[in-house]
Amino acid sequence: MTTSSTLDRSRPASRPAPAGHPLAGAVAAEWTKLWSVRSTWWTLLAALVTMAATAAQLAIYAVNANTDDDPTVNPGVLDVGDVVAGSLELTQFVVIGLGLFAITSEFATGTIRTTLRCTPSRSRVLAAKATVVGAVTFGVGLLLGAVGAGVARPVLGEWGRAPLGATVADVLACAAYLALVGVLALGLAAALRGPVLTLTVLLALLYIVPLSLQEPDITVLTRIADAFPGVAGTHFLAGDTAPYPAAVGLLLLAGWTGAALTLGRWALARRDA
Amino acid sequence: MITLRGLTKRFGGVTAVDDLTVEIRPGQVTGFLGPNGAGKSTTMRMVLGLDRPTAGSALVNGRDYRTLRHPLYEVGALLDATGVHPARSGAAHLRAMARSNGVPARRVAEVLDLVGLDTRAAGKPGRALSLGMGQRLGIAGALLGDPRVLLLDEPVNGLDPDGVRWIRGFTRRLADEGRTVLISSHLMSEMQQTADRVVVLGRGRLVADAPLAELIAARPAASVRVRGPEPAALAALGDRLAAEGATVTADGDGLAVAGSTAGRVGDLAYELGVRLHELTPVAPSLEEAFLELTAGSVEFAAGPTGGGTR
Repeated sequence: MTTSSTLDRSRPASRPAPAGHPLAGAVAAEWTKLWSVRSTWWTLLAALVTMAATAAQLAIYAVNANTDDDPTVNPGVLDVGDVVAGSLELTQFVVIGLGLFAITSEFATGTIRTTLRCTPSRSRVLAAKATVVGAVTFGVGLLLGAVGAGVARPVLGEWGRAPLGATVADVLACAAYLALVGVLALGLAAALRGPVLTLTVLLALLYIVPLSLQEPDITVLTRIADAFPGVAGTHFLAGDTAPYPAAVGLLLLAGWTGAALTLGRWALARRDA
Repeated sequence: MITLRGLTKRFGGVTAVDDLTVEIRPGQVTGFLGPNGAGKSTTMRMVLGLDRPTAGSALVNGRDYRTLRHPLYEVGALLDATGVHPARSGAAHLRAMARSNGVPARRVAEVLDLVGLDTRAAGKPGRALSLGMGQRLGIAGALLGDPRVLLLDEPVNGLDPDGVRWIRGFTRRLADEGRTVLISSHLMSEMQQTADRVVVLGRGRLVADAPLAELIAARPAASVRVRGPEPAALAALGDRLAAEGATVTADGDGLAVAGSTAGRVGDLAYELGVRLHELTPVAPSLEEAFLELTAGSVEFAAGPTGGGTR
C-alpha cells in the first residue's frame, strides 16, 4: 500500500485545464474504449467471415444461374461490385452491432455515468461516438468491400468482371452505406437504450415496414417505401436512376441517420443517467 | 465549494431530495450522512449532472457541472458503482477517462501508484476486480485531473481495515491541501474518525448541518448499567441513587443510571451491601446521536436493508 506518496503539495490545489477542445478528447476516449474490449475484434472477424461466405455464395448462385438451361434466369456477366453490394444485406447486421453496442453496453454496465462525468455535454458525447462509429464502420466497409470483391472475382470466373474504376466506386459506396447505417443504429440505440429493442426497430425500418408497403404493389405505398432508409440505401448501392437518382438515395439515408442522432441527443439530454 | 440551493428531486410521486440548501466548504472533510434511501446518492448524482434536479440548483465552484469543458480538472468522484466495463482493464478505463479531458497519459501511472494498485491489478478486466480494488480504481479515476472538489460515495465499502485507514488518511490530506471533500456514508461511526463537519439527511430533507464537535456535544448523556442477583437490594440501591439526584430507570433485570458515575454506584453498593454482577459505564456513541437525529426518517424501518443504490 502506498501511503508515502501524496499529491504534490508544491502545486496549487488544482491543475490548469488543457487548452485542447473537449470534442477531440471525447473522440480519443471513444476510440480508446472501442479498441480496449475484445468484443470489437470478434465483431470485425465475424463481419469478415460473413462477408467472405456471403460473397462466395452469391457468386456461386450467379454462376449456377448462368449455366442453367433456362435462359430467362440468366443474369449474364456480373460486376463483382454487384455481388459485394448484395452481400451487405446480411453483413451489415454484424457491422450495425458496432454502432449499437457503442452505447447500449454503456447503459447496461453503468459506464455511461463515467462517460457523462468525463464529458457532461450530451451533444458532445454523441458527436464523439458518431465520429468514431462512422469512421470505423467506413474503414471496415472498405475492408469488407475488398474482401468481398477478392472472393467473388475468382468464383465468378468467366461470368464476372471487375473494372477497376467501377469496383472502387462500388466499394466506396458500400463503406458509405455501412457508415451511415452504423451511425443510424447508434442514434436509435441512444434513444431506445436496449440492444434488442433497437435491433427490432432497425429491422422494421430497414426491411419489415418497406417490404410490407411494397407487397400490395400500390404506387403510393411503394413510393412511401422508397423513402425508408433500407430501400434508399439499396437504390444508392445499385446506382439506380429510378425512382430517384442514386445520390438522392444516399441523401435520404443520411437524413434518417441525422434524424436518429437528433432523437438520441434529445433522449440523452432529457433522461437521468 | 459545492453549493446546493433548494435542490429537489422527485421520481414520479416519490420525493428523493427535498428542498436541500447546503454549502460544502473547501479545506475540510464534510461527512454526508443518512440512512439508506435518504437521498445521498441522488444528491451526488445531481451535483455531477447525471440526474436533473426537479427544482433548485447544484453548483460546483459556482458552475453547473453540465457546462464544464474539462470536468475532471474541477471535480473528482467515486460513485457507488465504480463504472468500469466488465471486459475492459482498469488501466484502459483510466486511459480513456484521461484522454477525454486531455490529462497527460503519465498521470494514469501516477494515480495508480497513489491508490496502491500495481500494473498486474490494473491490467485485470473490470469483472475480475474485487470490491476493494474497484474502489481504489474509482478513487484513482477521481484523482486524474487533480481536482479541487472530491465526492466520494461510500468510499470505505468493501475495503479491508488497512484500506479503510488508508482512505481516512488520504481524505484528510486532500482536505488539508485546501480541497473540498464530501464523503457519504450510512455509518456515523465512520465519520467520527474522518469528518470535520457533517451534513445529515433523512428522507431527503436536511436534518443537521454542523461541525462534528457540536454534534458530539449534543449527544445524550452517559449512563451506568447495573445488574445484580437480588432485585430488592437493587431497588434499594436505585432509591438511594435517585435521592442523590441521579435518574434511575429499569433496564431489563437491572438498572440504567444517568447522572452518576460507575465509581459512585460501586461505592454505594458496597456501603449498602448490595451484590452486583455488572457495573458498566455506557457512553452513547455518535451512532445513537445520529439515530436520534434521523429517527422517523428511515425509509425501511425494521425492514430488510434495501434501496440506497441504483
